[in-house]
Amino acid sequence: MLEAIGFGLVTAAVVAMAAVGLSLQVSVTNFINFAYGDFMTFGAYVAYAANSAGLNFFAAVAVGGVATALLGVLANLTVFRPFVRRKARVITLLISTIGLSFIVQNLIVIIWGTGAERYTVSIGNAHHVGPFLWTTGDMVIMVTAFVLLLGLHLMLRYTRFGKSLRATSNNPDLALASGIDTGRVVNYTWLIAGFFAAVAGVALAMELNTLRPVLGFNELFVVFGAIILGGIGRPYGAMLGALIIGILTEVSGAYLNPAYKGSIAFAVVVILLLVRPQGLLAAKGKSA
Amino acid sequence: MTYFLIDLLAMGMITSIMTIGLNMQYGFAGILNFTFYTFVGVGAYVTAVVTMGTPSGYGSESYILHWSLPWPIGLLIAGFVCALLGLAMIMVTIRRLRSDYLAIVTVSIGFIIWNLINNYIPLFDGGNGLFGIPYIAGGANMSNVQYSMMMGLIGLVVLVGALWLSRRIANSPYGRVLRAIREDEVIAESFEKPVRRARISIFMVGCFMAGVSGGLLAYYLTSWNPQGFLPIESFILMAALIIGGTGSNWGAIVGAFVIVELLTEISRYIPTFGSEATVGAVRAILIGLMLILFLMFRPEGIVPERPERWYRTGRVPGSEPSGLVGAIKRREAALWPSRTRQPLA
Repeated sequence: MLEAIGFGLVTAAVVAMAAVGLSLQVSVTNFINFAYGDFMTFGAYVAYAANSAGLNFFAAVAVGGVATALLGVLANLTVFRPFVRRKARVITLLISTIGLSFIVQNLIVIIWGTGAERYTVSIGNAHHVGPFLWTTGDMVIMVTAFVLLLGLHLMLRYTRFGKSLRATSNNPDLALASGIDTGRVVNYTWLIAGFFAAVAGVALAMELNTLRPVLGFNELFVVFGAIILGGIGRPYGAMLGALIIGILTEVSGAYLNPAYKGSIAFAVVVILLLVRPQGLLAAKGKSA
Repeated sequence: MTYFLIDLLAMGMITSIMTIGLNMQYGFAGILNFTFYTFVGVGAYVTAVVTMGTPSGYGSESYILHWSLPWPIGLLIAGFVCALLGLAMIMVTIRRLRSDYLAIVTVSIGFIIWNLINNYIPLFDGGNGLFGIPYIAGGANMSNVQYSMMMGLIGLVVLVGALWLSRRIANSPYGRVLRAIREDEVIAESFEKPVRRARISIFMVGCFMAGVSGGLLAYYLTSWNPQGFLPIESFILMAALIIGGTGSNWGAIVGAFVIVELLTEISRYIPTFGSEATVGAVRAILIGLMLILFLMFRPEGIVPERPERWYRTGRVPGSEPSGLVGAIKRREAALWPSRTRQPLA
């Protein structure tokens, strides 16, 4: 049981990084992004390419993060901003992200093929840490997630940019009227979301010990589960949702047939929606 | 070549039934169902297990029911089972959720269903899927081409039925309520339109279509497994509908033939420039690009939705006096057009 919770914490760390990035983007842009999973895959592949070119693993992850951040901005400038300018409906934006998902995922197939790849670093040996059983890789993932999430928290809370980001998320028109360059804030948000996606993608590929073009697309719905659970457009809610989903998946996997453990997470989301449609930490005007 | 063409027509008919069903949900009522193909998949399974009887000669398949009903009944049962499944799903998702979040939840539920079917072997034989679904209407003695032709004809008959139903709904007061909900739910509600009931019922009708088309697919392919209804299929159907023309029945059919079928089949004839995966990837990129470009530059799709008759002619249905008075008024309007209200542009 305790070991399962330990594994759950690792899963939660991976999901949390992805979910917070997505949730941040959703809170600012106000539309769900189905291409986010493919951003994760893209970041993981760029890191893989840099890593196999001989770069140090952590440097490679940083390269993947920067590349995906730029991909996010590029997507925003070429696809999403024209729609927003025309005051397109949220649903239109949502569907255009599906088109983007097709494009990114299959560009990855064309560039890197459909075979399964691996990083040159191994996930290391298992260590007993208190009651938990973690590999070196697991601990690196958790520390990274903790540092990134803490950094994001500090930035949102204590910097001028964090303040303008929160203002834009809360009310874009009012933020614009107060002299905040909301277009720039949106671009920076895409940068951050892309970076988080890439790091989460690498962590996920390390966890699964395999890298495939559908890596992020398949994980996307777990990430959605976390952000729905926590309340859509609430980065802190996304952390909570990821924690619940991560632990629940692994603990249920220890007791039930592990094949169903993915479904358990979704079933919890569906049940929660029956009881509390706005999620645990609801954001006003974002979920109703 | 001829076989591919006939196969394309037959598959196109079946896919058109799907896009018409999806069009009822998304095009008429604006309900984003991103797991439409799950209902197609379930429909295929249900049709299979109620018609194929006890397993014979195909190893140890395990599945429920073992009925051997006539094939049209199998299609109907599939339709009704999917309608009920749709009812269960819409009851969960409809609760005060913004439409795009509802879309995500549909994907999650689709995933649960997929996972259950893939892993719970006693239901539909798990990941192995079902083999030896019977050929229908004496198809066992036919050649491939003949069977495709016959399935194309059966598909056409069902498609015409679906089209008829869809038009009836679109031109009825119920259809107008649905479009009102699509445009603005709150206004529709403030006019005391039965928003909730209308959405639930049209969702069920759409799922019925999915079930029937899935049943036809099962009869045509004679085998079915979880790899046949991966989440991506629903997205492709959605792209097909939007490129074809949201809200338009002919648009739905054009989308099904051009986007889903023609693009698949045409990749057999283009010179290979890489692995098979690359060809599939190019096709998906093409769909993605077309989807985005259409949303940007022609959001109404290839065949746009026809405006309502009163908008084209200026006559509001039901407000025209009938009988003798109507005849006199129409005569008057023809003689002195300036006295009467002009049709809208």
